Amino acid sequence: MPRNLSIKAARAQLDMTQKELAERTGVSRQTINAIEQGTYNPTIRLCRSICRVLGKTLDELFWEEEEEDNEKNDETNK
Amino acid sequence: MKKMTKPTNNNLDEMQELQLLHIERNGCWMTFWGLLAVIIIQTITTPGNFRILAGEWIVFMCQALYLSTSCMRRGIWDRHFRPNLRTNMLASGLAGLACGIIFGLVSYMRYGKLIGSLATAVLIFIFVFLCTIIALSFSAALYKKRRRRMEEEGED
Repeated sequence: MPRNLSIKAARAQLDMTQKELAERTGVSRQTINAIEQGTYNPTIRLCRSICRVLGKTLDELFWEEEEEDNEKNDETNK
Repeated sequence: MKKMTKPTNNNLDEMQELQLLHIERNGCWMTFWGLLAVIIIQTITTPGNFRILAGEWIVFMCQALYLSTSCMRRGIWDRHFRPNLRTNMLASGLAGLACGIIFGLVSYMRYGKLIGSLATAVLIFIFVFLCTIIALSFSAALYKKRRRRMEEEGED
């Protein structure tokens, strides 16, 4: 799973730490860190909660571009 | 800072909940296979004295029964295997073979007669094979029935 840089960028825009985002979404800092690192795939409920706190849409934070997906598929098929 | 989620008695968030489930799953299977290993070892080392195995056997069977019925109720069979005759035959064959070897060994250790032990092993193999294939076929039929019912329940 790729790293989620969108959340990190959105946090930086609001000058928010992982701990603050974790407190406002009701999860641990480790969970936010794991989502940003791409090691944990959150539920849609948590995704929506993160979006609300950061003032972004699901697409902006969690959508992966199709080109990126195709590139990855091409690489794995080689 | 105010939390956006409703307060609950659960100290864990969703990722920690998954991690705990993973730990509990590993613990469950360690207990399952550990108990089976204990039963096999004690059967071989103390042949004929099945009374001392009663406790382990009851716990093992309760766990197996719980896992099987829970999976069937939710329409789950296995991650890798399908409930067909080939798989059932293979599983029954392996179960029969394992039990045949163990009881053949136990018989030889107890009476020291090769032919008698081989006969025991063959008889146990046939008995366990038949019992397992019947149990698996019955379970597979129940599972398929449950799956059909669940599929129908999901329709609009």
